[in-house]
Amino acid sequence: MAVEKRHFVCVVCPIGCEIDVVHDGGKIISMEGNKCEKSEEFVSQELIEPMRILTTTVRIQWSKWAVIPVRADKAVPKRLFPRIMKQLRRIRLQAPVNMLDVVVKDVLGTGANIIATRTMPRE
Amino acid sequence: MEVDVAAIGSGPAGLTAAIHAYKSGAGKVLLLEREEQLGGILKQCIHNGFGLEQFKQDYTGPEYAERLTEELGKTNVQCLLNTLVTNISPDRIITALSPEHGALEIKAKSIVLAMGCRERTRSNIGIPGTRPAGIFTAGVAQRFVNIDGYLPGKEVVILGSGDIGLIMARRLTLEGVRVIGVYEIMNYPGGLKRNIVQCLNDFDIQLHLSHTITEIKGRERVEGVTISKVDSDLRPVEGSEQSIECDTLLLSVGLIPENELSKKAGIELSTTTGGPITTETMETSVPGIFTCGNVSTVFDLVDYVAQTGTAAGISAARYASGSLSRIRQSVDIVAGKNVRLLFPERYSFQDDLVLFIRATEPLEKPVTIEVAPPGSRINRPYARPNEMLRVKIPKGKLAQVRDPIRVSIREK
Repeated sequence: MAVEKRHFVCVVCPIGCEIDVVHDGGKIISMEGNKCEKSEEFVSQELIEPMRILTTTVRIQWSKWAVIPVRADKAVPKRLFPRIMKQLRRIRLQAPVNMLDVVVKDVLGTGANIIATRTMPRE
Repeated sequence: MEVDVAAIGSGPAGLTAAIHAYKSGAGKVLLLEREEQLGGILKQCIHNGFGLEQFKQDYTGPEYAERLTEELGKTNVQCLLNTLVTNISPDRIITALSPEHGALEIKAKSIVLAMGCRERTRSNIGIPGTRPAGIFTAGVAQRFVNIDGYLPGKEVVILGSGDIGLIMARRLTLEGVRVIGVYEIMNYPGGLKRNIVQCLNDFDIQLHLSHTITEIKGRERVEGVTISKVDSDLRPVEGSEQSIECDTLLLSVGLIPENELSKKAGIELSTTTGGPITTETMETSVPGIFTCGNVSTVFDLVDYVAQTGTAAGISAARYASGSLSRIRQSVDIVAGKNVRLLFPERYSFQDDLVLFIRATEPLEKPVTIEVAPPGSRINRPYARPNEMLRVKIPKGKLAQVRDPIRVSIREK
């Protein structure tokens, strides 16, 4: 793979260092603008596969509310967000649901579970 | 009804205050909430990033609320839900209404204000044009999407880059809504940098600084907006107008502390924070009435809200038991160079001084925060108006202070 320049804003801490990185197929050749070493791990991961925590809602029946908030219990590849959202749109949960109940196990084979983030009793 | 401590509002501020009033030995603690469930606005903040400091955990808003509610369950704090407080008198008599109990009169030895804040609307910023459907504040749209399960529209323009607007840009994009762009009148963003990165950059949503909306178009429903560049005096630049078609406009143009009740109690309000003028014990100008969270000043992080809630709860319990000094000796804390607002604005020689400071202008270089007297200097890597600075001055250093305390931010 060819040598490429990229720009990142590090989100490891609130400072938000603006980082210019030169890499070769994900291998960092040089980095500029970071104030600490923690950025290195962040940038390496960003170059290979940006990972994020997905938070959204799914439909719920027999509850006072129409939707229940959920999240991935660990970071999943950002590029899978549209596909995960599509899968979650088809789900109809039924109250009662407890906080941290698993809604989808191992979503799209990522190893992450989609879990409820609020307790909703049956009405 | 007679109680030792009554807290009004059960968001992160009120919950924390009630828990800490109980832990500090207050006998009878009452928590008043107008909604049917505890948690306040946390319930609709379904994104993560809550409690990183307080619990060393990355919670979503509803999880954070349940965690606090669980803790409250281990106390003997009494909660009155569906209960709307309509008046507070300066001698601490609370009038409240509830379908279950009717009209209530509660005599409290001390009161904690935790009513939070409300959003600025179109009328607050005066956008010309028609008055069609499809104009929402970002927080109202957040409630529709995250609690009621409705989308506000299909093609959205967001005015203002406050955190809720940024969070909603991401949320709506995930739900398949087209977010056309975020327009900010200032030449720097309103929200936290990590929200710009994770909510806008991650989804290729453009942030246009130094831009505002100069017209809203549409009769029944929003049909479009006119965007204009602004000059350094924030005036629209003639000839820079650009027409954008959209069916929805979200406003994320600032929050205002909700102090209608504070005014009724005769509490002195600050012209800069919009909240009560407060000492380091969170006491307002009316003895025995304390304040915490976003009703005091709008904070960036729930951790800061909880920190003031803890302080207010402890102080309210101390006041109720008579162990908080009632001597009203205090000095003012005033804004110096490059300081837009301060919280608290008074020091009463009872506790360490934890100061929250908002800068006027962004300084992207090492800065020194000067607190004088006593002449303390604290270094920080930068100062940004969208990220409050927090510094602590120990009580011991302040004992001899007699003149107003001036706080300044200078380049190092």
